[in-house]
Order: sequence, then C-alpha cells, then structure tokens
Amino acid sequence: MKNIIIIFLKEMKDILRDRRTLILMVVMPLVLFPLIINISSKFMMKLETTAKTKILRVGVILNSNDDRIRKSVISRDDMTLTDVKDENSIESMINGKTLDFCIVFDEQFDNKVKTLQQGEIRLYFKSSAKNDISKRRIDKLLADYKNDLLEERFRILELSTDVVKAFNINEKDIVTVKEKFGEKVGGFIPYLFVIFCFVGAMYPAIDLGAGEKERGTIETLLVSPATRTQIVIGKFIVVTLSGIISAILTFVGLYASVKLNSEIPTEILDLILKVIDVNSIIVIFTLIIPISVFFAGILLSFSFFANSFKEAQSIMTPLNFVVIIPAFIGTLPGMKLTATTALIPILNVSLASKGIISGTINNGHLAMVYISMFLLAAVSLIICIKWFGREQVIFRG
Amino acid sequence: MIEVDRVSKRFRLSKKQRREMGENYSGGKFIQSVSDVSFKCAPGKIFTLLGPNGAGKTTTLRMLGTILTQDSGRINIAGLDTLKEPDKVRGKIGFLTGTTGLYARLTPEEMVKYYANLYGISGKKYIEKRNSLFDLLEIHKFKDRRIGKLSSGMKQKVSIARTLIHDPEVVIFDEPTVGLDVITSRNIIKLIRDCRDEGKTVIFSTHIMGEVSMLSDDLAIMDRGRIIFNDTFKKFKNEMTSATIEDEFVRIVGGEK
Ligand SMILES: Nc1ncnc2c1ncn2[C@@H]1O[C@H](COP(=O)(O)OP(=O)(O)OP(=O)(O)O)[C@@H](O)[C@H]1O
Ligand SMILES: [Mg+2]
Repeated sequence: MKNIIIIFLKEMKDILRDRRTLILMVVMPLVLFPLIINISSKFMMKLETTAKTKILRVGVILNSNDDRIRKSVISRDDMTLTDVKDENSIESMINGKTLDFCIVFDEQFDNKVKTLQQGEIRLYFKSSAKNDISKRRIDKLLADYKNDLLEERFRILELSTDVVKAFNINEKDIVTVKEKFGEKVGGFIPYLFVIFCFVGAMYPAIDLGAGEKERGTIETLLVSPATRTQIVIGKFIVVTLSGIISAILTFVGLYASVKLNSEIPTEILDLILKVIDVNSIIVIFTLIIPISVFFAGILLSFSFFANSFKEAQSIMTPLNFVVIIPAFIGTLPGMKLTATTALIPILNVSLASKGIISGTINNGHLAMVYISMFLLAAVSLIICIKWFGREQVIFRG
Repeated sequence: MIEVDRVSKRFRLSKKQRREMGENYSGGKFIQSVSDVSFKCAPGKIFTLLGPNGAGKTTTLRMLGTILTQDSGRINIAGLDTLKEPDKVRGKIGFLTGTTGLYARLTPEEMVKYYANLYGISGKKYIEKRNSLFDLLEIHKFKDRRIGKLSSGMKQKVSIARTLIHDPEVVIFDEPTVGLDVITSRNIIKLIRDCRDEGKTVIFSTHIMGEVSMLSDDLAIMDRGRIIFNDTFKKFKNEMTSATIEDEFVRIVGGEK
C-alpha cells in the first residue's frame, strides 16, 4: 500500500510538470466550452440584430396590377423601394448586392383574383442564414396582402371567414422545459465529457507506460522493491484521476462560460443551471469514475505494450475513434437508454447522462449501466495488471 | 553473494523478430538466450561477465534482478531465492545499466528521494546516506535543477546515487559505461572499486577489454548463451596463449577463423 502511494505521488507530480499533459488535461477542457459558447452566441446575436434591423431593398414589378404592395413597401421604414427595369435584370441586381428581394406580379394577377382564381406572385431572393431571417418580414408582408384579398372575396361571397377555418389549433406542448433542453444540450454534454475524459487520460497513460520504456527508467523501477501490481496500481490511479479531472474541468468550463457570458439570454442561463443540478451532477460523476477506470485500463495496456512514445501514439490515434463514435451516437436525437444500449460501454454512459439531464431516465436501466460499467472497470484493471506482469509485454526486444 | 545454478532462459520470437533473424535461422519459434549457466560471485570481489553482442549478458543480469524469470535453474542472492522471494531480493540489489534513464521532469533530489522511499529508507538513515553520496559525487550544486537540463555526466552521477541510496549488498552493472566519455567512465570505474572495497558483491558486464583488466577479480566469458570460461582473472592472464587480452578473448570466442 505504501509503495502504491509513493508511486502515485511521484507520477502525479511528474505528469503535472508536463506541458503537453497540462494543455490536454487542464487547459483544453476548461477553455473549450467558454470559447465555443462565447463565439457562437456572439455570432448568433450579431446575425439576428443585423438581419432584423437591416433596411431591405425591395423591388416591385406590378405589371399593371394593383399597387397596394408597392405602397406598403414605401410606407415601411425597414424597407426601401428599389427600381427594377424588368424581370431579366433582377438576378444580376441581387448578385450585385444592389437588391435584396423582388416581388413580381403576374400580368393576369388582378384578373385572376377577381374571378376567384389563383393569382401568381414570383419572389426573387438569395437564401443565406442572414437573409432567411430577413425573409420573414417579406413573408409577413405578402401574407398580410393575401389575407386582405381573402377577406374581400368572403365579403363578395357573403360568407363568414370561419367557413374555411374548419378548426383552430391551440398548441399546448406538455414537454417540460427540462425535457426539451435535456434532449438538445443533454446529448451534447455527455459526448464532450466522455471525449475529454479519454483525451485527458491519454498523455499521462503514454508517459507512464511507453514513456518509461523510452527513457530507460522501467528497468530500475522494476528492480525496486515495489511489486509489479503495486507499480501498475500506482500508475493506474494517476491515469484514472487524469480522466476524471478532465471531465470535471469540462463541467467547470461549461458552468463558467454560462456564468461569465452575459450575452446568453437569462432564460437560457437559468435553464442550464437548473438542468445541471446537484442530483444530475452526482449521478454523472459516479458514472465518470468507472468509465475513467475503463479508459485507464485500455490506455495503459496499450502504452505498456508500446516501446516508444511514437509507437504508443500511433496505436492510440485510431483508438480515439473507437471512443468518439459510440459517444457521438449517444448524442443523436431519438437514441435512448434501453436494456441493450445500457450494456454497450461508452454509449451507455453517454445515454444515461442524457437521460439524467432530461429527467427521463429509467432507474432499472440506470442500474444496469452502473453494474456493467463497474464490472467492466474491474475487468480492465485486472487485465492491465496481468498484462504488465508479462515479460513479452515489458521486454518486447 | 550470488549463486547461479544451471540457469537457462529462452525467448519466444515474434514473427517480425524471426524475419529479422534472417533466412537461415533454424531455431524455430524460440531463441535460447541463456543455456545452462552457473557461476558464483563472492562478496568483496568484482565478477566480470565478458561477452560479445547477443551473448546473453543482459538477460542473465535481468534474471539476477528478478525482472525476468528463468525457465530452469536456480538463482540465489544474499541467501534468498529469486523465484521464491523476489521482492526481498530486489531490496538487496543495486542495479545500474548503461542505458538507464532518469525522470527528466524531476530534480536529482526528488529522484533519489523517490527511490529511497521505495526502498523504505527514511529519516536519519536517509539523510546520512544522501549527504554522503551527494558529497562524494558533488551533486549538491545541481540537486534542485530539473534532470532534463543536466549534462550526461551529471545525470550519471544521479544514477549512481539512486543505485546506492539503500546501501545494497549486491550491485549489478550492465555495461555501465556505454556512451560515456572517459572522465565519466572513470567515475563509474571508481564506484565499482569502492563498492568492492566496502565488501559488496559486485557483478558487471562489459565488452571493453580495458575495463576487464582494470577491475576483474573473477572473470566469466559468455558466448551464445553459454559460459565458456569461468575462473579468476589472474588465472586467465597466466594461461593465455595470445599476446593481449583482447586477442585471447577473440581466440576463445572463436570470432576470427
Ligand atoms: N525480450 C526479448 N525477446 C526476444 N529475444 C530477446 C529478448 N531479449 C534478448 N533477446 C535475445 O537474446 C539474446 C541475448 O541477448 P542479451 O541482450 O542478453 O545479450 P547481451 O550479451 O546483453 O548483448 P549486448 O552486448 O548486445 O548487450 C540476443 O540474441 C537477443 O536478441
Ligand atoms: Mg546487453
């Protein structure tokens, strides 16, 4: 026991002095969330405000139809009427950025409307994220005109407007805010902490296994009175802890980004804080422990096998995908914890966390996740210890 | 005291290793690195293990250090069997090789303390031993610098301090001067002598003739896994038929035909 502590303390000190490890294990998880949230919310806000306040240049080609639309464009102060010679020049004007939208009435428009037929309007524009927000204003403009024309028709036919409205939908969505949010963000957060849990443990694992061989320190350590089991356990704890620390820092980063970013609308901010409440966090962190142990077992086993840093890295790079893919599948909408998915490592933790955040978790399934993950963690530790005891692994020649 | 009694060790070769052995390699899946090796090393004497590349020196010394286990035969170190009580055996051994590395991000002080802790040396005993080694090897000046920033000579001194911090009864050196300059090599040679003079059992492997004649009390020559000469160095010199030790060694090993 004493030797395990000695080895643990030494290895911990050693990896915390490594810049590469620190960046991947501490800085990245801490900074990534604030960065993503900041940049994306800034970008969204800017897009929204410019799109909403932009004065749209609208062309109207009446083709001698009624000029009501033209008049309302002129009367609105968020639109200016732009001269357009004919329909053929619209495209080049939009591409040349001198025109945003152009409404073209069919020559027969008024005639058709009067004879209770369908009139035709052609709307020219170029879609983009920004323009789509602006287009809502044009849509509204046209919809208003359509309603006016409809009401006129009903008046002529002496009908009540209720005739065409067979029923009126009054939407009452019973999904709780937490549920809705859990589906969206809930799928995303577990994905990131699982990834960081793995990435954060990777460099320490390489350093403590293959690194020890590359530097030629493994022999001396093996001739010390510490047994192989003690050595593995000491190192194992360090790698596991690295994964856990990364995962925790991912949360700290998320929490901080929400707290520090004043541009996030307060409703959403309150929501995130409510969603990531104490209970969810406790359950998620008790799941992080076995998954970190599991990762540590895999990573260290590969690392002990490799003879150099480079070899270890080339083995572990494809391993990244083995972790990313099931974690990512967990983020897909509609993926839920079932008796089957509860037994698939990584995916089960990803799904369980999602379920906990959205509050839809089934306790039986959660228990299955716990049991399978703790079993897997134990197996991975035992295999790693056995593996390290093999001469063919440590001295591969 | 080291007693090695009819020890053999073979390695299973991977497919890649077998390919590297060349077309005409006929040994099958295994390579016999050590065959039926027996020898004794007495306290207060330096036992030299001389042999060409691939003779099996490192494999033998690693078995003494309990990091490899023999397929057959027995090894007894300071009265303990290496298979039955490997943990206790390791507590009595100091092990230093030419390729031994150190943890670059630790300081010499931390490095030596780490091993002292593993050997269960603490308190006054640790301080005394550490001070005398740091004095002797002049480590004080750089004891708080990161090892990664030290010169090879300084690193070697730290390695020596690490090897001897627990005052081992038996010291094992595997080609300890590999890659070192003359001055640093001399430090090692002096260290080996000092160990003998303190009454420790010393075994070291080499293929440098100068070291053999400077240090050996007893000599064993190893080739292709077998001991082909084992007696005192004096006897080796008296009985040799070639002009130099090197010539004699080549003659015995049968290198030049
Ligand atoms: N882990 C291993 N796997 C396979 N073969 C090995 C292993 N270790 C050593 N060998 C083989 O055993 C033989 C003896 O090797 P060993 O390292 O003991 O020789 P040595 O006398 O120390 O040589 P050198 O002077 O080159 O250090 C060599 O043929 C080597 O290739
Ligand atoms: Mg060797």
